[in-house]
Amino acid sequence: MDIFWFLTFAVLLAGYFALEGFDIGLGVLLPVLGRSPAGRDRLVGAMAPFVLANEVWLVALAGVLFGAFPVLEGQALSRLYPLVVALLLAWIVRDAGLWFRRRADGAAWRLVWDGALCAGSAGLALTWGAILVAVARGLPDSPLDAPAVAGGVALLALLAWHGRTFAAWRLQDGPRGSGRALLLSACAAAAPAVLVIAAATGHMLGNAAPDPTLSVLSVMVVPVAPILVGAQVWVWRTFSRGALPTFF
Amino acid sequence: MDVVDLARTQFAVTGSLHFLFVVLTLGLAPLVAIMHTRYAIGGNPLHERMTRFWGQIYVINYALGIVTGLVMEFQFGLSWSGLSHYAGDVFGAPLAMETLLAFFLESTFLGLWIFGWHRLPRALHVACIWLVTLTAYASALFIMVANSFLQNPAGSAEVGGRLVLRDFGALFTNPTLVFALPHVLSAGLWAGGFVVMGASAYHLFRRTPEREFFIRSLRIGVLTAFVGSLFTVGFGYAQFGPVGSVQPDKFHGAVPGTALGLMITIGQLVQFAVMFVLTPLLIRDVLARSRWLHPLLMVMTPLPFVAAIAGWIVREVGRQPWLVYGKLSVADALTPGLTRADVTASFAGFAGVLGLLALVDYVLIARAVRRGPGRVVLGAADLPVTAEPAPAHAL
Ligand code: HEM
Repeated sequence: MDIFWFLTFAVLLAGYFALEGFDIGLGVLLPVLGRSPAGRDRLVGAMAPFVLANEVWLVALAGVLFGAFPVLEGQALSRLYPLVVALLLAWIVRDAGLWFRRRADGAAWRLVWDGALCAGSAGLALTWGAILVAVARGLPDSPLDAPAVAGGVALLALLAWHGRTFAAWRLQDGPRGSGRALLLSACAAAAPAVLVIAAATGHMLGNAAPDPTLSVLSVMVVPVAPILVGAQVWVWRTFSRGALPTFF
Repeated sequence: MDVVDLARTQFAVTGSLHFLFVVLTLGLAPLVAIMHTRYAIGGNPLHERMTRFWGQIYVINYALGIVTGLVMEFQFGLSWSGLSHYAGDVFGAPLAMETLLAFFLESTFLGLWIFGWHRLPRALHVACIWLVTLTAYASALFIMVANSFLQNPAGSAEVGGRLVLRDFGALFTNPTLVFALPHVLSAGLWAGGFVVMGASAYHLFRRTPEREFFIRSLRIGVLTAFVGSLFTVGFGYAQFGPVGSVQPDKFHGAVPGTALGLMITIGQLVQFAVMFVLTPLLIRDVLARSRWLHPLLMVMTPLPFVAAIAGWIVREVGRQPWLVYGKLSVADALTPGLTRADVTASFAGFAGVLGLLALVDYVLIARAVRRGPGRVVLGAADLPVTAEPAPAHAL
């Protein structure tokens, strides 16, 4: 039972970086790839219908951490306190950029929220890099140091590449836009997190919730799992091709 | 203020902000779903315009529901790791279910609904907004299950200094849940109805060209508030029995007592106004034609929101000093080693950023209301996927 929930956790983590990774990367590259307001609208339009379905992977991850590994949840979040606070703030700013950028007219308004989108995305990539480094090192007391910064920058570069691949694929810009390239960059985006969590397997299994709790979770969640997967597939089937929706 | 007070204040502020947006989400989602269904069945363009106008208000409001919710989700682990240590094996389960069974689906289907105009078949598009409504209600259920466990730790037993799950079903039949959940859900309907009513009154008062649209909307808003207020008050009084039996002196403190008084005063007065004045005046559209009443309707709009925050203050302050009632005190649940500097910094960050965004969001909602159904962006035309060709240079 604990192995099942550990695997669920790992799948959600990998899925988060493979999917939300391109939103973050594209957000970082927004000023580079989209030099004009119309160009930025196109980029945001490419990722917009996916963002809501992608970012929830992290919410689900946090839920599984709390439900199936409650002791670790308390430990990890509180040991990583400043990084998690920074991650949340970056996430909020990124989301605000997306939701607000087209809600009023005027070039200045757009510029502010496009800036928020870009800065929030960069903050997400940097803090995630630092968090992965801290987890890999067994949650050191002061998680903010040179290796953490290096990890942040490395992840930023990786996700930016993933975001660029996604944009090329969705917007059909040139030869780089193949589905295989996107799959490759998605695997690469997920790889660091998967490695870190694989190294922590023993620690996680040793701290799983007791079986009665895990059974209840399984009974409730497993029957619904096909709907979760189906909804995600539906999103991809609906928005992978064709014109770009404009709401964000 | 010491660390515990700071962390508590942080939770109270972010929680209240979260609920201000959530309560409207809960109320507007079913209204938008009904409007969309009527459009899908009858094909009346008025219903389409209603769906898109009120749907856009709903969606703008939803943005803040998400971002404040993210903070709530992670705050347990950040500030209150003692809770996950002591009670996580029980309390974590409903929270995990909320994320997997409710929020994950809600967000995915909402994305499909927002961006699915012009591409999803009409019936499936309507199904999306119903699924959003259903999962939003499921989300409220699981969160209230978790909260009710803190009020009255049913279904669990203490073994070796930690709570273990004994009876999962008992979490759902918790006496502090069964009346609280419908009380909250009907409060949501009331809030949603009042927003629709207040916005309609604004347009009717300003005599904008959308008269037909807003006469109908006014009717929907008042009737929704009528139903919502009836159940809110009914289930409100019904709560006294179970609460009195598990938390006998809950309302004795100054803060919970005052907040309870405020909630009941608002609830009682406004319910009478809705039932005996506003609803009867719907007959032959007297309310829509009585222009002098419209400013009053606008002023009344925030009242359910005030009552709802007061309600949470009653429920949460009344539980003090316990986090898990009778078992784990708030002070003991605080993350060990947390410093004042930590909490002050995160509090300033969260309250500052979320407070600012909440203000912006309310301005945007007001703006969307003012611009009216003629200038709705939700469901607007798509962009072509290929970049605009650079204009050939003019001769
Ligand atoms: C005559 C009117 C009302 C009565 C008798 C009443 C009663 C109560 C009681 C006793 C509680 C506390 C339950 C506890 O501590 O566990 C409560 C909580 C609450 N009330 Fe009310 N209430 C009334 C009106 C309203 C109104 C108008 C709203 C908002 C529109 C509202 C929203 C809430 C909320 C959100 C809570 C917290 C969650 C809950 O316990 O359900 N109430 N109410």
